[in-house]
Amino acid sequence: MVYKKMVAALRHLRQSQRVALVSVGVALFATPALSEDQVLRIAMTASDIPLTTGQPDSGFEGYRFLGYTIYDALINWDMSSADEVSGLTPGLADSWEVDTEDSRVWTFNLREGVVFHDGSEWNADAAIWNLDKIYDEDAEQFDARQAGNVRGRIPSMDGYEKIDDYTIQFTTSEPDAWFPYQLSFLLFSSPAHWEALGGDWDAFASNPSGTGPFKLTRLVPRERAVLEPNLEYWDEERVPRLTRLELIPMPESSSRTSALLSDQVDWIESPAPDAIARMESQGMAITSNPYPHTWPYQFSMQEGSPWLDINVRKAANLAVDREGLQAMLGGLMVPAVGIVTPDHPWYGEPTFETRYDPEEAIRLLEESGFSPENPVEVKVLISTSGSGQMQPLAMNEYIQQNLAEVGIALDFEVLDWESLFPNWRRGAGDASSRGAHATNITFAWLDPFSAFYRFMHSSMAPPNGFNWGYMNDPEYDRLLDEARVTFDQDEQDAILAEFHARMVDDAAWLWVAHDVGPRAMQSRVKGFVQAKNWFQDLTPVYIEE
Amino acid sequence: MNTYFLKRILYVIPITLAVSFFCFSLVHLSPGDPMDAVVSPDAPSEVVAMVQRAYGFDRPLPEQFGLWVSRAVQGDLGMSAANGRAVTTEVFGALKNTLLLAIAASMIGFSLGCTFGVLAGYYQGSLLDRLVTGFAVGGVSVPHYWLGMLLVIIFSVELNWLPSSGAGPGSSSDWNFEWSYLRHLILPAVTLSVIPMGVVTRTVRAMVADVLAHEFVEALRAKGLAERRIFLHVIKNVAPTALAVMGLQLGYLLGGSILVETVFSWPGTGLLLNNAIFQRDLPILQGTILILALFFVALNLMVDLIQARLDPRIQRG
Amino acid sequence: MTSTSIDVASKVEAPSIAPSRGYWGPVFRRLSRDPVALIAGIILLCILAMALFSPWLAPMDPYKTSMINRLQPIGTPGHWLGTDELGRDMLSRLIYGARLSLLIGVMPIVNAFVIGSAIGIVAGFVGGKTNTVCMRIIDVFYAFPAVLLAIALAGALGAGIVNSLFSLTVVFIPPIARVAESVTTQVRSVDYIEAARASGAGSLKIIRCHVLGNVLSPIFVYATSLVSVSMILASGLSFLGLGARPPMPEWGLMLNTLRDAIYVNPWITILPGVMIFTVSICFNTLSDGLRSAMDVKL
Repeated sequence: MVYKKMVAALRHLRQSQRVALVSVGVALFATPALSEDQVLRIAMTASDIPLTTGQPDSGFEGYRFLGYTIYDALINWDMSSADEVSGLTPGLADSWEVDTEDSRVWTFNLREGVVFHDGSEWNADAAIWNLDKIYDEDAEQFDARQAGNVRGRIPSMDGYEKIDDYTIQFTTSEPDAWFPYQLSFLLFSSPAHWEALGGDWDAFASNPSGTGPFKLTRLVPRERAVLEPNLEYWDEERVPRLTRLELIPMPESSSRTSALLSDQVDWIESPAPDAIARMESQGMAITSNPYPHTWPYQFSMQEGSPWLDINVRKAANLAVDREGLQAMLGGLMVPAVGIVTPDHPWYGEPTFETRYDPEEAIRLLEESGFSPENPVEVKVLISTSGSGQMQPLAMNEYIQQNLAEVGIALDFEVLDWESLFPNWRRGAGDASSRGAHATNITFAWLDPFSAFYRFMHSSMAPPNGFNWGYMNDPEYDRLLDEARVTFDQDEQDAILAEFHARMVDDAAWLWVAHDVGPRAMQSRVKGFVQAKNWFQDLTPVYIEE
Repeated sequence: MNTYFLKRILYVIPITLAVSFFCFSLVHLSPGDPMDAVVSPDAPSEVVAMVQRAYGFDRPLPEQFGLWVSRAVQGDLGMSAANGRAVTTEVFGALKNTLLLAIAASMIGFSLGCTFGVLAGYYQGSLLDRLVTGFAVGGVSVPHYWLGMLLVIIFSVELNWLPSSGAGPGSSSDWNFEWSYLRHLILPAVTLSVIPMGVVTRTVRAMVADVLAHEFVEALRAKGLAERRIFLHVIKNVAPTALAVMGLQLGYLLGGSILVETVFSWPGTGLLLNNAIFQRDLPILQGTILILALFFVALNLMVDLIQARLDPRIQRG
Repeated sequence: MTSTSIDVASKVEAPSIAPSRGYWGPVFRRLSRDPVALIAGIILLCILAMALFSPWLAPMDPYKTSMINRLQPIGTPGHWLGTDELGRDMLSRLIYGARLSLLIGVMPIVNAFVIGSAIGIVAGFVGGKTNTVCMRIIDVFYAFPAVLLAIALAGALGAGIVNSLFSLTVVFIPPIARVAESVTTQVRSVDYIEAARASGAGSLKIIRCHVLGNVLSPIFVYATSLVSVSMILASGLSFLGLGARPPMPEWGLMLNTLRDAIYVNPWITILPGVMIFTVSICFNTLSDGLRSAMDVKL
C-alpha cells in the first residue's frame, strides 16, 4: 500500500521539512555522540494527562502517548516505516486465526515469557482478567471508565474464554473480518499489581503496570507524566534509547510554540502553522507525514436537506479550491477526493472526478435552480478547535467563500469541540443539531469499519453509530456487509473499492483534506521515524548533543 | 461589640448554604448532558447507563442535591467527570498555585499602591500627583489579559528574557523559590498586580489627602512637630483601611485570576475552571466555584472582624 | 459585607442627596471645565460614532478573508493597521468591532441599572421585611468575586452573546441595587417626604415625584463607574470563548483568535486590546469627572 499521491504531495512540502524526514533516516546509520542524559520532553495537545490505567481517554493522542508506551495490545501497530501505511503486527499474541467452520470464532496464541513491569507473568488468566475488567460489571476489577473508553472501539466482541494457559478464544457477534483491528485498542494491565495496590484503580493510575516499552514513574495530574524505559521489554528491537520521557499537556498552541522556542520542551505536537517559519529560522525541525485522517462535511440525508439533490453535492465538491487551502495551511495538508486517497486499494475507479471546477459547479446548480444570486442555503455545524480538526475556523471560512462563489450559502453553527463531538452520535435530527444540514467532524480511518461502515451503513444511524445524516442506500449496505464477511484480503479490498467508487460518484460527502500530523522538535532530537499513522513509536528516539 | 462579632459570624451560615445551592444549580442551568464529558460518544448506550449510575446522575435532582451537600460537608465533592479524580484533590492542588500567584500579585500591588498613594496624597495637585493618578486609573481600567499578552510580547517574544507560560521547569508540586521557578512567576504576578495597585493607590491617596487636610495636622505642624511624626500619624490613620482594601482585593484576585492564568497557562484554579468549562466537566466546575466562593466569604469575614477590632467605629453589616 | 466587583470597595459609602431641579445645566457647565473628562467624553463619542457609522467608515468588508494577505504588518498600504490571521483588514474589523464590544459591555449596565434601581428603590422605600429579604438575597451574590460569578454563569450556560449579556447583568444588579437601596432609605427619612406622606400623597406618587428625582442621579453616577469593569469583563468572556462567536468582529474575541499569531506578527495581536483599554479608561475618567461635577459622594 504505497500512497503515491501523498508522497507526491509531500515532495511539494517545504524543502526543510523533507530534509527533516531525510535526516531522521540518515541518523539511523550514523554513530552520533550520545547525550548522557537522554531526556525527551513532549508537549501534547491534551488538556490533561490521558488516563493511565490501561485504556486511555483523550482520543488517539491518549493511545499514542499513554497507551502504546506503557501497554501492549494482543495485536500492535507496526509503526516502523515512514513510507508504508502502518499495518498490524503481533503484540501480546504470537499468532491468531479465524475458525474455518464458524467464522465468528477466533483463536489467539499468547506470547510466552512476557512479564509486566511489576514482574508478574503475562498469560491467559491475565488476559481474561483484563477482559472482565471491561466487560463483566460484577467483576471486582471492573472499571467503568476504562470500559467506557474502549467498549465502543470493539463493536463485534461477543464472548471470550480461556482455552489453556497461553491460548484464548474470542467469539464475535457476527462474522467480522475486521476484528483484529478492533483488538489493537484493547490494552492489558497487570492483575497482580492491581491486587498489590489493594484493588484500587486510582492508586493504579499513578503507579500503573503494563508490558509496554516504557513504564510510568511519576504522574502529576494535569501537569506531567514521567516515563522511563522498560529494559526488560520483550521485543529487544524496541527497548527505548531514552532514559526519560516527559509528557506535558499544553492545549494552547501558542503556549506550545513558546515552550519549544524557549527550550522548555524538546518536541511539540501540532505547531501553529503560522509559527513554523519562525521555528525553522531558529533551527527546529518540522516533521510531517500523511496519515489516515479525513476532514469532511458529513451531509444530512433527512427530509428538507439541500444535500438530497446530487447536483448540490457535486457542486460543493467542485467548488472547493483544495490547493488554495493547502497553501493557506503552509502545505500542511493533502487534498481529499474521497474518504481514502486515490492510491489506496480501497479507492476504486469512480467516474466522477472530484476537482476544482467552479464553472461546472455553477452549471450543476443552475440545473437545480440555484445561482450565486439565489443561493441554496445550508447550515453546517463546526467547532472552534478539537482533536484532528486542524484549523477549523480558518478552513471553514475559506470553504464558505469558495461555495458562496458558486451559489451555496453556508451558515455556520459554531460549537466547541466538547459539544460538537457528542452531537455526532445524536444525529442530524436531534435538537442539539439545531437544524444543521452537515457536520464537520474529522476522523481516523484505520480499518474498513472506522473508515466506512460506521458512517455509511444504515444500521449505524443514531444512536447506534456515526451515520449522523441517516445515509440509507441499500447498495452501500449490501457491499459493506459483503466485505465484512470476506476473510480473503484481496477479495475484500475489491469489494471495498467498488463501494468507495460508488460513494465518490454519489458525492456522498464533501471531502476536503487529509492531515499530515505536523510536529516540531529541537534539532538535537534524532531517530524519530514519523509513521503514516495516528500512533508513533518513541522507542528509537534519542538526544544528540 | 461581641454581639456584632457573633452576628457577623452566624450570618455566614445562611450565606454558605445559599452559595452551595447556587453552585449545585449551575450544573442544571447548563444545556449539555453532564455525561458528555464522561463517556466518548462511541460508547454503547448500556455503557452510558452504567457510567451514569456510577456518577449518580440517574437520581432525581433533590436527592442529588441532598447527597451532594451531605458529602460536601464531609469534604467530598465528587469526582471529575473528565478524569475520575476527586474534585477536592484537583481543586486544592490548583488553589495552592493560585494562592501563590495571588499573594505575589497582592504584595506587588500593595507595596506599589501604598508608595504611589502616599506620594500623590502628600503632593496633591502636583505633576507627580497627576501622573500617579493617571497611572492608577490605567491600572483599574486595563484589561489585564491584554496586558499579559503585551508583557509576553515584550519580555518573551521580543527580548526572550522570561518564559511565557507554565509554573516552572518541573511540575508545580516541585515548586521552590529558586530562580528557575521564580522567573515563571514574574510576568503573571506583575500582570495581576495592576488592579490592586490601582485600587490601593486611589484609596491611599484619598485618605492621605483627607488626613493631611484635617485641622489637627495644621495644629501639629504649628506646634513644630517633626514631619516624621506627622507621617507616622498619617500612616496610622490610613493603614487599617488600606489593609482591609488589600484583603478584599486578594479575594478578587483569587476569583479573577482565571483570565491571567489562561494567558500564562498557570496551573491554578482559573485554568482548572477554564478547562472544566470547555470539557463540560460539571463536578469540577461546581467544586471550584464553591471552594473559591467559600474562601471569599471567609476572607470577607476576616477582613470585617479585623477591621472592627482595629476601628470599632466601623461596624459594617 | 460591603463592596463587590473589582474596585467598588472604595466607592460605596454614604451617598449625599442631590437637589433635583435645574440640575443638569450646572453639571454640564462644571463638567466642561474639567479638560480630562471632556477629552474622555469626546473620545467615547468618536468610538460611538465608529460603531454607528461603521459601514461608512470602514475601508473594507470586515468579513472578507484573503489567504494571501494574512498577518500583514501595521503600515501595509491598503491595510494601514495590517491584517489578521485570515487576511481580514484589521482597521475595518476594529471599527466594526466597536458595535458588538460596546453593546455587550454597556448593555449589562443599562439592564442592571433598570432592574437594580427598581429592586433597590422598592426595597428602600417599602423597608421592613421586604427590604430584609431583598438585601439578604443580594448578599448571596456578594459571596462571589464579580469575575468568578460572570464566568461561572456564562460557563454553565454555554457560549453566546445572549448568555454573556445575561451573566453580566446578573453580576451588576446586586451592587446597583444595594446603592439604590441605601440612597432611597436616606431620602425616605428626609423631612419633605415625611411631609408629603403626612399630607396624604400615595406611595406611588411619592416615589415618582420625590424619591426618583433624588435617587436616580447618584445611582446613575455609580452605574457609569461600573461600565469600565463591564467592558473588561464582557471582552474577557469573549476572550475566553464564552461571548461572541467567530467570525464576528468583537475586540475580546479578536484578541483570542490572534493569540496564535503572537510569534509571527506580535504587534497586530495587541490592537483590539488597545481599543478595550481606551474605552475602559475613558469611561472611568468620565465617570470620575461626572461624580465631582454632580458632587455625588459614593
